[in-house]
Amino acid sequence: MKLLAAASLAACALAWTSTASAQEAKLCDKPRQMEGFKTCADVAKAEAEGAFVLYSTDPDAGQAKLLAAFNKAFPKIKTNYVRLQAGALYAKLLSERQAKSYLVDVIQLSDMGMILDFQKRNGFTQYISPEMAAFKKEYKSTPEGYWTWGSIIMAGLATNPKVVPTAEAPKKWEDLLDPKWKDGISVKVSNSGLQHGVWYTLKPILGDDYFKKFAEQKPRAFDSYVQQYGRLVDGQDKVIMGAQYSGYLEFKLKGAPLDFQFPATGAPAVPETYGIVAEGPHPNAAQLFMDWFLSPVGQKALSDALLLHSPRDDVPPPAGGVPLKEMKLLVPADWTAFEKDRPSFAKQWDRIVGARH
Amino acid sequence: MTAITDASVPRPLGRPARNWQPAVTAAVVLVVSLLVLLPLVFLVEESLNVGDALTFPPEAYGISNYIEMFQEDLGILTNTVSIAVMATIMAILIGFTLAWILTRTNVPGRERLERLMELPYYMTPLVGALAWAVLAAPKSGFFNQLWHYIGGPGDIVDVYSMFGIAWIMALFEGTVAFVMISASMKSMDPALEESARVMGASKLRTALTVTLPLVMPGVLGAMLFVFAEMLGSFAAALVIGIPARIYVITTSIWESTLSYPPDYGRAAAMGLALFVVMFGMLTFYRWMVRRGSFATITGKAFRPRAMDMGRLSWLLLGVCLLYIFLAVVLPIGALILTSLQRFATVILSQAEFTFANYRMALGLGPVRTALFNSLTLGFGVASVGVLVMALIVWIIYRSQLRGRGAIEYLVMFPQAVPRMVFGLALLWAWLNIPIPIYGTLWLLALGYFTVMLPLGVRTLAGVVLQIDKSLEECARVCGASWGYQMRSVTLPLLRPGILAAWLLIFMACVRELGVSVFLMGPNAKVIAPSIVSAFASSGTELTAAMALIQTASVVVALIILFRLTRGMTKELA
Amino acid sequence: MTRIELEDLVIRYGDMTAVNGVSFTVNRGEHLTLLGPSGCGKTTTLRAIAGLEQPVSGAIRIDGQPMFDAAARKNVPAEQRGVSMVFQSYAVWPHMSVFDNVAYGLKVRKQSRADIQANVDRALGLVQMRHLADRAASKLSGGQQQRVALARAIAFSPTVVLFDEPLSNLDAKLRAEMRVELRDLQRRLDITSVYVTHDQEEALAISDQVIVMNVGSIEQIGTPEEIYNRPQSRFVADFVGSANILKGRLTGPDTFEAEGGAKLRINTATTARNGAGEVAVRTAYIDLIARPGDNQLLGTVRQRMFHGDFVQYIVECVCGRLIVRRPPTNLLDEGAPVTLSFSPEHTVLLRGEPAS
Repeated sequence: MKLLAAASLAACALAWTSTASAQEAKLCDKPRQMEGFKTCADVAKAEAEGAFVLYSTDPDAGQAKLLAAFNKAFPKIKTNYVRLQAGALYAKLLSERQAKSYLVDVIQLSDMGMILDFQKRNGFTQYISPEMAAFKKEYKSTPEGYWTWGSIIMAGLATNPKVVPTAEAPKKWEDLLDPKWKDGISVKVSNSGLQHGVWYTLKPILGDDYFKKFAEQKPRAFDSYVQQYGRLVDGQDKVIMGAQYSGYLEFKLKGAPLDFQFPATGAPAVPETYGIVAEGPHPNAAQLFMDWFLSPVGQKALSDALLLHSPRDDVPPPAGGVPLKEMKLLVPADWTAFEKDRPSFAKQWDRIVGARH
Repeated sequence: MTAITDASVPRPLGRPARNWQPAVTAAVVLVVSLLVLLPLVFLVEESLNVGDALTFPPEAYGISNYIEMFQEDLGILTNTVSIAVMATIMAILIGFTLAWILTRTNVPGRERLERLMELPYYMTPLVGALAWAVLAAPKSGFFNQLWHYIGGPGDIVDVYSMFGIAWIMALFEGTVAFVMISASMKSMDPALEESARVMGASKLRTALTVTLPLVMPGVLGAMLFVFAEMLGSFAAALVIGIPARIYVITTSIWESTLSYPPDYGRAAAMGLALFVVMFGMLTFYRWMVRRGSFATITGKAFRPRAMDMGRLSWLLLGVCLLYIFLAVVLPIGALILTSLQRFATVILSQAEFTFANYRMALGLGPVRTALFNSLTLGFGVASVGVLVMALIVWIIYRSQLRGRGAIEYLVMFPQAVPRMVFGLALLWAWLNIPIPIYGTLWLLALGYFTVMLPLGVRTLAGVVLQIDKSLEECARVCGASWGYQMRSVTLPLLRPGILAAWLLIFMACVRELGVSVFLMGPNAKVIAPSIVSAFASSGTELTAAMALIQTASVVVALIILFRLTRGMTKELA
Repeated sequence: MTRIELEDLVIRYGDMTAVNGVSFTVNRGEHLTLLGPSGCGKTTTLRAIAGLEQPVSGAIRIDGQPMFDAAARKNVPAEQRGVSMVFQSYAVWPHMSVFDNVAYGLKVRKQSRADIQANVDRALGLVQMRHLADRAASKLSGGQQQRVALARAIAFSPTVVLFDEPLSNLDAKLRAEMRVELRDLQRRLDITSVYVTHDQEEALAISDQVIVMNVGSIEQIGTPEEIYNRPQSRFVADFVGSANILKGRLTGPDTFEAEGGAKLRINTATTARNGAGEVAVRTAYIDLIARPGDNQLLGTVRQRMFHGDFVQYIVECVCGRLIVRRPPTNLLDEGAPVTLSFSPEHTVLLRGEPAS
């Protein structure tokens, strides 16, 4: 798996951040066994806090389902969320913190660049969950407890067989440059972490020219995969470039006519990373959520709600999905470089989708 | 007799009541100035920020944001202007036609029709845009499906175009144009037309030589006003424009603010550019209204004699109903149909009907909370707001306060600032003002109040100016203190106006989007941005259900209100 | 005893001086009328007494108490002056009943419910409106509103009532009736009042004292008879009643030579004579038959107009055309030769206009 090689590199790149905020924290002495997971959190306090707020990039409906599952396990803790694309969400989070408004407990961002930036700003608070032991070192902050990958998302090509016969569907990234797809391609907005991953991993492989030519196809940008697949199903667009695999699984499950292709070049993949935000309003509930969420129970709930792949080996892939092991994933090797690339990506991607001229 | 007449009885006034007027006035003026001006100051400062966008106050100042805007975003500026021009022309055509039919002809059921014309206002452009996306999308839109069904090749309509955006904006702004133009038509003394007829001019000649020139200032005023609104409109540009790769200033502001790294400088510069243009236009508009007001608007409403159109009047009725059909019936119908489907995106003929979307929408805690918050905010801001606004109006038009002209200008300021831009400015101001209300409903309430000022003050001013000043003076001479006079005379007399303003503000709050998108937080969600968010990430069918729930709640709230206040309005009617 | 005293009052609106140095006093129980054309400053003066306008200089005292004093920077707000006012528009509050309108001033003064009932009853009785006490004010006719406004103004036993053209919105017949009632009421209640009108007939009919105002200043103060019989300026002669103005020059202590050479004896008792060159003769005081001992002029009737209560002739004589009003008996034909007679008593020398 190339993924792992890439991720270990990332860990090296991170070494300096760990010195900045390092204080060797340890797992608590006696984790408490809950139903399906272990926790170091003070459950009574968490329930006394009575609420939990998540900021996440996942679509509303799925997020609501995930939180409903947590709420079912802990009915005394009311849940709330804000859903925005990664860039928008992070900008909002930073603005709030500048205004000294601490409204959120746990944040999920699909862009590792922002996660590292937030860690640099001492935005995360450290909490070592007993469940983190099941996560590979590369999937966690160093030292651990600041952030952890909650799922891995990957991108391919999606088409609608009722509009584009399966035989004619694009198989490779390069196929999209065919003039017949002009005005028929959808992508995500520059705020998306996955879209940044697509750009960042494919550019070195396909060459600088690729995206220049791609721009001439006049792709349309959308905020979430729900819009993209919706338009694909009703025939408004012909193909999704960088189609999120979990979205395909979700729509397929609902009975939508869809084809999905992982190009042989590889599927760009990025993690959705979770961490407890410093000075959050419900710190104990946040710890409890992290324990629940990182455990097989929570990971299963996530995969049920949003059909996402768990980074844990002991959690099966989402319904109808190929296991991670069988994919050829392209994961950015150097997250620091990835982070530095974002401003230029955002500007150029905005131009490609017509948001800037 | 003597009991009353004995002049030696000392004047029976007790201890003089304390006069609260100066203190109250000063407080109101101060608060309003802060609310209106402070955000703009922050906005200007941010537009000059060329350092790190997230550091405030800025590390470095410069004008590169403006230079970049003209170098890189010229296309966006052109888009904005083109769409606004197209939409304005259409809206004025709609407004003028309807106004003419309803004030100048004997179209059947005139009064009912006039009330019907208000409906599109309650629809809101956001709901309208969502509906028209369902109706007129290429391939899957209802129109195109129908077209394919009868064997037509290709698509007949595509809403994802500049024209499509302009069409939706015009459809829902047309009712504003209608109200403004028909007001100027109504305020024209019919004797002016009649004397032309007596002198021997034909109907047509009268219309061309007398009616048109007299109504022209009103039409031009409406045109400027609508154009300014169009420049700052957001909902249609968001729902239709972004998928169509057509970005305008408001959507660009939205994108550059809500992205990482955020480009606040670009957003602020664009916002100020829009502000300058709109400010210029509205100043021109006010100047024109003032100049023209002596000629036609005498404050007296005439009941113009209608022209007898014979059988043609049924055709005119058809025109009016067509507008209602396009702006209300069709969109609501499309949304209802969509919201009842399991899968909005599936071809109509294979539709599966279900109430699941309503269960889902109402089941989503955040949606319920957002709806509840919006209604609460609407109720609160409207209730407290109208009282404060009535006070402001009174200060402007009735008090002897020095500088009240400046206050008048000040409260009209937010109108010249596009809602989005004001939202951005408010965000900036409250991020940096050390009062911890960011992320709470209080900030939304303050924001709403500030942007509703022009609407409320304008509505109330019309009523205050119609109240004979001596009604108030008489109370003072009778010995009432200022506060008692306001309570016992001024406010009761303002009641019908207050009710009208209340309704307008309530509606405007519940549908508010531009300010809300910037100011809402996890504990302060409101409905319009939630619908936008659902549109982005929850699929059309759920969004349609939410939009309908919003519309229905507003209607129910209004019906309850009308019921409760019926006695009150009748008494003064 | 002086009830109201104005001293050198000046009121400005921006650059415009509305009232320019007005001084007068009103004694207890006196009924004073400010008379003048629109824009002469009479209403502004009245409103300043009520406290509804703020003068820039001068002083207003009521019962010796300063209500406004520019020098002492004192300005008592309207509600604390204890005066009452009837407005031109009546200002009857449409959202209240007749009773509530009249009771307003009493409620403000925190009278007991019984007192309020009694006083409202009495006030409504005085204006014959008791039977309409419960009616909504918005359902009253103009005349009824007028009466309510009046009742409201007197209900709380004010010592000073100000009237701002209270009859101007009524039709001619009702106006004449109300005039009589007002005069009667005022006598019975022993109130001191200041009354503003542009109707000279009304002013003369109901006042103890009349002040004629013009462009912000007082032209003349006097009883109605003085104002009518001895106008001091051309403005007063013109504005109050109708008069013929003859130009000419003084030729002796009580002789005047009019243009055309006619020599007239004149009344000089009250008039300053600096630079004077005009006399006024009331149209009603000219007889068309020769009256020995009076000023006499020969003339010819040029035009006759029948007005009902009087007949107006235009008579041509050496002094030009004079207007003569006579009772409608013994009509003269146009072209008839006549002798104009008017007594020296009624030939009033006018004050010269200031050089400017």
